[in-house]
Amino acid sequence: MSEALLAEQRAARRVTTATRMRRATPYLLMLPPILLLLGLVVYPMVYNVNLSLHSYRTGAFVGLHNFLRVFDDPLFVGSLRATGLYMLLAVGIEVLLGLALALFIHRSVTSAAVRTIVYILMILPMVTPPVAAGVIARLMYTPNYGVLNHLLRLGGVITRDIEWLSTGPTAMFSVLSVDIWQWTPFVFLVTFAGLQAVPQDVLEAAKSDGAGSWNLFRYIEFPYLRSLLLLVLVFRGTDTLRVFDHVLVLTGGGPGSSTEFLSIYLYRVAFKFFDLSYAAAISLYVLLAASVVFMLLQRLLATEAVM
Amino acid sequence: MRAGRFLAYGLLGLFVVVYLFPFYWMLVTALKSLADLYRYPPTLVPSPPTLQPFISVLVKRGYFSLIWNSVTVSLTAVVAGIVLSLLIAYPLTRMQVSPRFRRGLLAWILSLRFLPPIVAVVPFFAIIRGLGLYDTRTALILLYTVFSLPFSVWMVKGFLSEIPAELEEAAMVDGATRLVAFFRVLLPQLAPAVLAAGVITFALMWSEFMFAFILTATPRAQTFSIGVASLVTQFEIIWNDMAAVGVISAVIPIALLLAARRYVAQALTFGAVREKS
Repeated sequence: MSEALLAEQRAARRVTTATRMRRATPYLLMLPPILLLLGLVVYPMVYNVNLSLHSYRTGAFVGLHNFLRVFDDPLFVGSLRATGLYMLLAVGIEVLLGLALALFIHRSVTSAAVRTIVYILMILPMVTPPVAAGVIARLMYTPNYGVLNHLLRLGGVITRDIEWLSTGPTAMFSVLSVDIWQWTPFVFLVTFAGLQAVPQDVLEAAKSDGAGSWNLFRYIEFPYLRSLLLLVLVFRGTDTLRVFDHVLVLTGGGPGSSTEFLSIYLYRVAFKFFDLSYAAAISLYVLLAASVVFMLLQRLLATEAVM
Repeated sequence: MRAGRFLAYGLLGLFVVVYLFPFYWMLVTALKSLADLYRYPPTLVPSPPTLQPFISVLVKRGYFSLIWNSVTVSLTAVVAGIVLSLLIAYPLTRMQVSPRFRRGLLAWILSLRFLPPIVAVVPFFAIIRGLGLYDTRTALILLYTVFSLPFSVWMVKGFLSEIPAELEEAAMVDGATRLVAFFRVLLPQLAPAVLAAGVITFALMWSEFMFAFILTATPRAQTFSIGVASLVTQFEIIWNDMAAVGVISAVIPIALLLAARRYVAQALTFGAVREKS
């Protein structure tokens, strides 16, 4: 083979290596974060699966035993029921209140300054750490010292202190109220931004055709808000599966197990009963629940084409 | 019309008062002396206001060190998170990547936002213990970094795709390497947005409670959130001390997010909502 041909081949090989390098560069750059995510998100789930199939104490393979235990576990069923109730009430009330507030401000408050002030005030509860929200709720609800009982007595609503944190329904109310206080602003911010996107001329046209307030909302504004409301449902729906901080601080899951939501129960099984295998199985159920909620709503969102 | 507007603003005012009263009550309680605290009926204004509770928690209870832990953990995790999210977002928006990979990766990262952290707590506990990192700040840095990635990747990706690539391309045509173009041309434009992403993730990490609760045990690594919770759940609550830690815990993210308020709605909805103001 001649010198020239060899040199040419070498050059060609250099080019292909260079191209290959160039093609690989983006993936090489992404490798470290992806590995970290695999190691700290995917591996833990694999670990959970493995743990749930074995007995934590003896290490023996027990098949689906831990997954079947939930059916005979009244505490698990109770936590499921509490979580369902919490999800329904918290998300429902937040959506209604937040939407109502957004519509109210959109229609009745025209001053830009007032709107900005409302926007800023709405951020405050949302970004308050849940443990700090727990502090606030303590100051509100504690029977003897809490200010709520005092205010209610002043207003003549009650004559005897209500033990807010000591009975099931009132404890649930207290815990819910924190969530609603913190997250109604989220619904407000999202839907208010959505309302700004409604074209003004369409609204004006409908108004001059004599459409009432309700019809304006139902037929003109609501279609613009629908996908955003679904988005809110995805976020808030999956977030209620993770409530932990303010509940632990406020009621610790009690009284009894009336506010023992899935996450609190899971924590208790793992770190109070040290039944880690069972906790792993429950973790996988919670993961499944979150995935179902996420996928259902994502499918809805996909048809709405926002994400 | 006039009366209607008056009514509207009145209603709004009432709502605001009800909404903000809890904050006010926490602040007032934190400024009361013990004697003032047990006065009956409770007073709306502390007389005289005192900073005693703050000094009591920060100095006597040693909560300064918890603040220090929170700040060092969060800052490190923020920086690590931003670097890692740039490593994902830059190639995805500026280099040749298969569109299917791009879509798949972004969707997967987004789905992690909806993963309830509690489901990872059992394995984390085992892994962190296995690595000998139980009760260390390193463990928290690791987890906070990972859990901030969905936020920061999506935010940084959003900002990157808004900045036209022409300037960098021009610099590269003029002979600058990609690295130089990145640091000299792109980063200065990206800086404010990256800073906002950092501020928001810092606030989230400062507020985090569950991982710190499960993975730390002593003031060596405990964060401020743990300090707050321990004052709320103790048997006999010292009300003004508890309110004071609540105030400190809330003031930091509130201040940070007010500074970055333009980006808050966008960050919390992964770019689905844009705020104009």
